[in-house]
Amino acid sequence: MKKQNIEDIFSSMENFSSVPPPELWANIEEKLDKPKKKKRAILWWAAAACLLLGLSLPSVLNKSNNGIKTINNGSGINNSVVIEEKKNGANDAETISTEKSNTINKSDSIGNSSLTGPKNTFDSAAKNQIKATAVADADSDSKSDINSGSNTKLNSAKRNTNQAVATKTSISKYNSFHSTEKNQFSETEKRNADKVLAGKTFNAGKQNQFNSFSRNQTPNSIFGNQLNSNANNIALGNSNSILNQKQTTGNANQQTVLTGNTKTEKSIAANNNKSNSKFNDVLSKQDSVQLAELQNLEKGITPELKKEKDNDPKTNSKSEKWALEVFAGIANSENYKNDKTLGNVNDSKQSSTYGVKTKYKINKKWAVGSGFKINELGQSVANVSYIKTAGNAFLSTGDYFMKNPSVPQIASNDGYVLVSNTTKNALTSNNVQSGNLDQSLRYVEMPLEVSYAVFSKNKASISLNTGGFVGKLISNNVAIDGNSLGKNINANDFVYGSTLSSTVQYRVYKKTNVFVEPAMNYYINPLNNQSFNQFQWGLNFGLNVSF
Amino acid sequence: MQNDRDGQLKIYQLFSPVLYGICLKYMKNEDDAKDVFQEAFVIVFQKIGQYKFEGSFEGWLKRIFINKLIETLNKKKKESFFLDVFDPDTDFIEEEELDIAPIEQEKLLEYIRDLPDQYRTVFNLYVFEKMKHKDIAELLKISEGTSKSNLNRAKRILQKRILSIKNFKIA
Repeated sequence: MKKQNIEDIFSSMENFSSVPPPELWANIEEKLDKPKKKKRAILWWAAAACLLLGLSLPSVLNKSNNGIKTINNGSGINNSVVIEEKKNGANDAETISTEKSNTINKSDSIGNSSLTGPKNTFDSAAKNQIKATAVADADSDSKSDINSGSNTKLNSAKRNTNQAVATKTSISKYNSFHSTEKNQFSETEKRNADKVLAGKTFNAGKQNQFNSFSRNQTPNSIFGNQLNSNANNIALGNSNSILNQKQTTGNANQQTVLTGNTKTEKSIAANNNKSNSKFNDVLSKQDSVQLAELQNLEKGITPELKKEKDNDPKTNSKSEKWALEVFAGIANSENYKNDKTLGNVNDSKQSSTYGVKTKYKINKKWAVGSGFKINELGQSVANVSYIKTAGNAFLSTGDYFMKNPSVPQIASNDGYVLVSNTTKNALTSNNVQSGNLDQSLRYVEMPLEVSYAVFSKNKASISLNTGGFVGKLISNNVAIDGNSLGKNINANDFVYGSTLSSTVQYRVYKKTNVFVEPAMNYYINPLNNQSFNQFQWGLNFGLNVSF
Repeated sequence: MQNDRDGQLKIYQLFSPVLYGICLKYMKNEDDAKDVFQEAFVIVFQKIGQYKFEGSFEGWLKRIFINKLIETLNKKKKESFFLDVFDPDTDFIEEEELDIAPIEQEKLLEYIRDLPDQYRTVFNLYVFEKMKHKDIAELLKISEGTSKSNLNRAKRILQKRILSIKNFKIA
C-alpha cells in the first residue's frame, strides 16, 4: 500500500468505460430516423397561431362592439327604424363572412403524418459481427467468449470451442467465467475451486455493467486507424479491450488468488472474498448513513452561501445580439379628449395590426429596435345625420358647404351631405337620415424603439419599450352605414407619433421566443382640419428569433 | 457520414464505451445517463459534418457529451446550481494522504455518483477532464472561487467516505 491523495485514488477512473446496453443503439437509430421537420413544424404552427389570433381578434371584438353600437343607434332620435334594419343587415353579412373565413381556416389544418424509418437491425447485425469475430478468433483465445457474454445462443453454439480453449490456460478460463451467464458455469463444474471462484465473482459483480469495466479501452493514438478499419476489426478491438478490463479491474481479486504473488494481496483478496456479501450489505448501509450525514452537513453549510448568479458579467454572452420578430395583434383607437365630429362624440374603433421588427441588444439590459408595421387608426361616429344628394336636383354638397362654411367637409364623395347636429334641428327635410360614420386611416409605420429589460430569469423576460414612429398613409376610407364616402380629404400623408409598450417574452425552443406585447400609441397629426382619435392601445402576439 | 448508418455504427461501437462511461460518471442514476448518452449521440451524428479534423475526434465527441451532460444537469436544477462563495476557512483543507488498498472501480464510481450534482460536475471536470478552474468557471457560468469550493467539498466528502471504509475494514 502506498500513500495516495484523493485524485490519485480516483485516477483509475479517468479512462473509465462501460459498454452501453445494446438497446441504446436501437433508440439512437430511431431518433436519427425521425424527421427534424417536426420541431420546425411546431414553430411554423406557433407563428401561424399567433398571426391567426392577432388577425381574428379584431373581427371577434368588432362583432361584439357592433352589437352595442346597434343598440345605441336604436335609441337615436330620427329614422331609427329604417336605419336599424339597414345596419343589422350589414352586421349579419359581416358575421357570415367571418364565420366563413373561420371555416376555411379550420379546413386548412393538415395533420403531419409521422414518418417511420427503416426498422433498425443493430441487434442482429451486432450478433452476426460478434459471431464472425468469435469464429475467427476461436482457436486463439477466449476473447469472443467475453464479447458474447449476453448472447446465450451464441454461447451454446460456441460452447465446445470455448471449453476447449478454457482448459488451455487458467487466465482465459477465468475470463470466461467473469463474462458469461450461469449456463456456462455448468460446463466448468469439474473443478470445485473454479466453481467457488466463479460464484464469488458473481457476488462481487452485482451489476452486469460493472463486469465490463475497462481501462484504456480506446487509446487516443489508435483512434484514427481504428476508425478506418472494418467492422470485424472493431469488434475484435472491443473484445480485446474487454479482455483487458477483465484482467485489470473489478475481478482482480481472483487473479490475485491464482497468481498468489504476495501475502498482502492474498490477504486482501481473502478479506474481500470472505465477507463479500455481508460486507457489501453492511458497508452500503453504513455508507448511505454516512453520506446522508455528510450531505446534511454540507447543506447546513451551504444555504447561507448561495447567491444569485444572474449578475455575473460572464453570463452576458456575446451571442444572440440580434432578434427578429414577427407579430400581429389588435389595436383600438380611442378618444380621450371628448373630441366631436359634426357635434357627435368620436367613438373608438378596432382594427388589426401586423409587422416585423428587428432588435439589437446593446448590452444585457438595453436594446434598440426598428421595423415595419401595418397599422390602422380609426374612429366611429354614431348618429351622424346625412342627406343623400344623389338624384336630388335641389341639393348638392357644394351648395351645402358654401352655405355653411363652419361645417368641415370630410369626405370626397359628393353623393352624401353630412349634417352637423346644430344644423340638423333646423332642417325639416324628410331626406335627413342618421347613421354610423366610420373612418379608417391605414399606415405603414416605421418605429424606432429603445428597450429596457426589467426582468429576466430562466426562459422568461419582461422589457419596457418606448420610442417614436413615422407612418405613411396607404389607405384612407370614410363610410356611412357601410356606404363608402370615398377618402377623408383632411388626412395627412405622413404621421408621427410616440409609442410605449411592454414585452412579455417566453423562450419556447432554443433561440425562439413567443411574446405578448401590450402597447400604447399616440398619433400627433392624423388629420389637419378635423378632430380624430389620436390615442391607440394595442395587444400584439408574436414570435421572436434570436441570432 | 450524416446519413451513413454503417459509418455511424462503427463510430458508435468504437467510442460508445468511453462515452457511456463519462455519462455514468456525470449522472446520478443510470437511466439519466442512458438518456443523455442517446441524445448526445444523436447530436454527434447530426453535427458530424461540423467536425473540422482539428484535434482528436474523441476530444470532439467528449466535448459534445460533456456539454450535453451539463445542459441536462442545469435543466434539472431548481435553484442556483452552484454554490457561489468561496470560503477560505472551510474550503482550504489540508488534503490528507490516504494509506489504503486499491478500491474497485465500481465502488469509486458509486462514490462519485453519490456526490451532489454540483460537486460531482466540478470534480469530474477538474480531475478527469483536467480542466482548470478558470475554464470550469467559464463553462458552468460560475466564479473560479465557486469552482474551487465545489471541488474541495467534493474531495472532502470522498475522503471521508474512503476513510470510513478503511476504518471499517480495520475494525
